[in-house]
Amino acid sequence: MLAQSIALLQAGDLLREWTSRNIRARYQQSALGWLWAVIQPVAQVAVFTLIFTLIVPVNTGDIPYVIFSYVAMVPWTFLATSLTDMSNSLVDNMTLVTKIYFPREVLPVAAMLARLMDFGVAAVLVVILMLFYQVPLFPAGLLFLPVILGIQLALTLGLGLAAAAANVFFRDVRSLLTLGLQIWFYASPIIYPVTLVPERLRSFYYLNPMSGIIEAYRDVLLRGELPGPYLALSAAMSLVVFSIGYWFFKRVEFQFADIV
Amino acid sequence: MNTVIRFENISKRYKLGLTRTSLPGVISQWLKGSLKAAPQKADDDKYLWALRDVSFELMQGQSMALVGANGAGKTTVLKLLANITKPTTGTIQTQGQLSALIELGAGFHPDLTGRENIYLNGTILGLSREYIRRRYDEIVAFSELERFIATPVKRYSSGMIVRLGFAVAACIEPDILLVDEVLAVGDASFRQKCLKRIQSLLEDGTSIIFVSHNLYLVQAVCSKALYIQKGRVLLDGETNDVVEAYEHDLHEERARKFEISDLEQTDGAADVEITKVEVWGVDGPAAGPLPSNQSAQIRVHYDAYHDVGIVSMSVFVMRSDGLTCSMMRTKLDGFELELQRGQGVISVHLDPLQLISGTYFAEAYFLNESDSMVLTSAGGRSDWFSVKGAARSYEETSGVYEPIARWHHQHNGLQAAHLDSVREPALGSAETESR
Repeated sequence: MLAQSIALLQAGDLLREWTSRNIRARYQQSALGWLWAVIQPVAQVAVFTLIFTLIVPVNTGDIPYVIFSYVAMVPWTFLATSLTDMSNSLVDNMTLVTKIYFPREVLPVAAMLARLMDFGVAAVLVVILMLFYQVPLFPAGLLFLPVILGIQLALTLGLGLAAAAANVFFRDVRSLLTLGLQIWFYASPIIYPVTLVPERLRSFYYLNPMSGIIEAYRDVLLRGELPGPYLALSAAMSLVVFSIGYWFFKRVEFQFADIV
Repeated sequence: MNTVIRFENISKRYKLGLTRTSLPGVISQWLKGSLKAAPQKADDDKYLWALRDVSFELMQGQSMALVGANGAGKTTVLKLLANITKPTTGTIQTQGQLSALIELGAGFHPDLTGRENIYLNGTILGLSREYIRRRYDEIVAFSELERFIATPVKRYSSGMIVRLGFAVAACIEPDILLVDEVLAVGDASFRQKCLKRIQSLLEDGTSIIFVSHNLYLVQAVCSKALYIQKGRVLLDGETNDVVEAYEHDLHEERARKFEISDLEQTDGAADVEITKVEVWGVDGPAAGPLPSNQSAQIRVHYDAYHDVGIVSMSVFVMRSDGLTCSMMRTKLDGFELELQRGQGVISVHLDPLQLISGTYFAEAYFLNESDSMVLTSAGGRSDWFSVKGAARSYEETSGVYEPIARWHHQHNGLQAAHLDSVREPALGSAETESR
């Protein structure tokens, strides 16, 4: 029991070191450094804003399109970059995995935590945009933010752990993930409002846990409302995904070193 | 003393090659596997048994070597102990904190500084940040890299990286330490440093499992040894006995290869066979260790099946790890050898022997007159013999031979004709000093 607690504590230190290694290594030789965390979602939002305000106007109610899509783009970017990094985290460090014992979860989890920092940086611009557009604050809703983030983390962990483990056995996972993320992007209400989705498809639409998560972010930040019941569905889905992903990871983790 | 490692009836099976074809196929295979635990019947073509029914125990403070050819299963044993992989059958119990020194500088990132990599590498090895912080100055001092500690390691030389890696590893104080060929890298002084560290850990009660192809080092570090061959334990006992058995097999293996490939053979049966090679001390067959500063002789017994004529002979003195210490050739020394039908003995005197303490053997070959062809089908090989030099153990000295050394010291140059130290030439005057 004591030994296990010590091991966990030490894994905590390793997690911290490995996370900061990922962050530092990523920005070590780049001139713009952490600014890239903002540049990427901003560039995408700029393009979609041009398309969906000038070319094909989309009705986002009384919320300006820029902030409407940026609020969604930031968590989406976090999910997409995390999953990509997590899926490669074991494969890129196979020499370590086959030679030294440490809790294997550290590698994918640290990959996600390193992207969580980018998420934090990009989120600062959300606050700036809210001030600029004078969006009224909704304190009760803000209490929900950690809950929504927690649900998103569970979803990311579940998928990321499974992808990282599966990638050790089949490199197809990497390509499959890129393809999946592209489709998933358009299947989530990031660049268009849910109101454009036909009524009869809505219930299916919310089976995508990211739909509920993104809508919940908009509810508490932009609409001044508490999240709708779809968040509960997202939470349940994410929990299932997390359980399966983690179970799968633990089940195959001792086979990693046997694959040469 | 308590048992810190109990390795019981361990077998480990690896899958060979790509047996799975499609992703869906594998997923269903995994799901099925989780439902019925019993493995399907083993197919010898599809699986490789890396270990078969291996058992051993290690007591606290003991050091054990794993010896065996490449692919015998030594690394698999370490991987199982380090919890990197699971046994197919059997149980492993370990007591206390276990660390593995399998790769120095594991996880080093080239873009990060020496300092950052110390923390990274340390936590990978299972140390806490707090512990590394306390030992940080010590680690840096040990690595002798104070000036470069804020430089990214990609600008380090490979030697510097090894030094930094070892400096971190050296501050581990585990209950059980696994060492795998780490000492193969680095120069002699680095190896010496590592060896010292390992020995001080042993004194503090750490138990060590040691894998190295350097049998000399194995004998210096370990009190017991396990000889593994093709995944099975062949011998478990005192280091010297096990190493001797392993070397014997190695030698036979080498002789077999030599016989098959390297030699141009005479047609049909050999003309002459070496029947025995003996090593004698001053007064006959060596009973105990031969004193390094006294003479010894190597005696080669032969049996010639007919008149062979002019031949030459080569005699090797080999150290137990296979290093050739000396090669003596009749042709080189201008000693003419003519063999006639019958038996005889050829002896070569080494006066004095001048080897450092250790275990050796002698090997002899007959060659044709021009030294271009080996006449005997296999070289004759002596039993092991040990030599007792001035140094009592391996750590006290290094090198291969021990010249008769005389020391002089002059102060203020009153006797200008003397050098600071004088070493006797290898085969010099009759006056030998006893030490």
